[in-house]
Amino acid sequence: MRDSTPPHHPRPNRLRRLQGIVAMAEFNNFNTDFFQSSYSIDDQGQSTYDYNAAGDPFQNRQYDSHTQQPGYFYPTGSQQPYTGQIYQPTPTFTPSSPQSVYGNSFEDEAPLLEELGINFDHIWQKTLTVLHPLKAADGTIMNETDLAGPMVFCLAFGATLLLVGKIQFGYVYGISAIGCLGMYCLLNLMSMTGVSFGCVASVLGYCLLPMIILSSFAVIFSLQGMLGVIIAAMIIGWCSLSASKIFISALAMEGQQLLVAYPCALLYGVFALISVF
Amino acid sequence: MMRVGGAIGAGNHIDRFIPVSKLKYYFAVDTIYVGKKLGLLIFPYMHQNWEVRYQQDSPVAPRVEVNAPDLYIPAMAFITYLLVAGFALGTQSRFSPEVLGMQASSALIWLIIEVLAILLSLYLVTVNTDLTTIDLIAFAGYKYVGMITGVVAGLIFGRTGYYIALGWCCISIVVFMIRTLRLKILSEAAAEGVLVRGTRNQLRMYLTMAIAAVQPIFMYWLTFHLVR
Repeated sequence: MRDSTPPHHPRPNRLRRLQGIVAMAEFNNFNTDFFQSSYSIDDQGQSTYDYNAAGDPFQNRQYDSHTQQPGYFYPTGSQQPYTGQIYQPTPTFTPSSPQSVYGNSFEDEAPLLEELGINFDHIWQKTLTVLHPLKAADGTIMNETDLAGPMVFCLAFGATLLLVGKIQFGYVYGISAIGCLGMYCLLNLMSMTGVSFGCVASVLGYCLLPMIILSSFAVIFSLQGMLGVIIAAMIIGWCSLSASKIFISALAMEGQQLLVAYPCALLYGVFALISVF
Repeated sequence: MMRVGGAIGAGNHIDRFIPVSKLKYYFAVDTIYVGKKLGLLIFPYMHQNWEVRYQQDSPVAPRVEVNAPDLYIPAMAFITYLLVAGFALGTQSRFSPEVLGMQASSALIWLIIEVLAILLSLYLVTVNTDLTTIDLIAFAGYKYVGMITGVVAGLIFGRTGYYIALGWCCISIVVFMIRTLRLKILSEAAAEGVLVRGTRNQLRMYLTMAIAAVQPIFMYWLTFHLVR
């Protein structure tokens, strides 16, 4: 049935294992018994269920539709009793698909993180790309839209603002939304290939990371002086250079890096304004 | 992989409302073009050849032709104007998000009024020109560059700096507009400087000068309350 075991993933608990084994057993029965049955399915009673109904996701809901027949109807022959999957339109049994049967063995399921789409290696790679603005970026890292990292960075930014006493999550999210929309329109008009909105949001969210450094500076000392303005300007430049570098390499736009960096700088400038004032 | 075009792409339903492919022409710019164009807007006196090259009946992209209008500079200048206005009001402690919204909507309304007025006068004078509406929006948006320069100078150097910078930018934008529009509105002979008699050409000349003269008025009107 299953030829290769999937890679390492966290083992589910014992209850899941038991349910998996029971489900496997009943599926085996279903396969062998179905074609050898000597009576019609419609006569099948409802009360041959003899396993834990609470944990079974294939609970039959047709209790009211078969009440004409007397309840107990035992199959002839030496077959084991049916355990209730006959009335369900089960999909074609594909042992290798991880999401087909919920009660399937845990070895078939993909790792949890893979199912959620969180790939720590890629997240780390993208973070490193942002932190080294002068190093050339790889265009293929933006292929999958990953909004988990940007969400974390937005929350961290809001949290550092909270530490200074500014409860402005609403402004942060509103400005990010408007800024992402504007960048999305601009990049689609300026580039040969287009971009999806998720990709734009993902890149802009990742490049928010240096802004978190700025707002954590605001916790330590006030930024409303010449020093604060200089630091803010440097951080804005850092953020917009990284963002434009990633956009340029991912969209293959040549000679336009400064043109892409300028609207990014405007967007991050607004964030810096929130941090400083 | 990135979906080709996203939602703004060829053959999409947004094409019915916004002419996306035409808009893409106006955003086909690069850094060198933007630099040269900004230089032209501030100092147009040395530039000799103002004609736009054509390639089989369609104008050449702004990337390769510095005289072609684009929409990147007006769009960015508009947004920068809003941010600089917010900053200027912030330094005078008159800032609030509602004021920023009011600035944005009033600037936008004046832009629309100006473009509509120019369209109307072009229609009344029955000029056969290939100026599209988007071209007019682009030309009307170029004055924001001068406005930003004036406000920034006013923030750094005070009221005197504001007047000097704004005056310089006003004169530059008038010269820029006359030289650019002359080629598009006037007939070919008159555009080359030959004196051509006739009321038609006179009307066209007055129209060009009126469009150019209205720019400094708007520039002053939209910025004087930002600098104290």
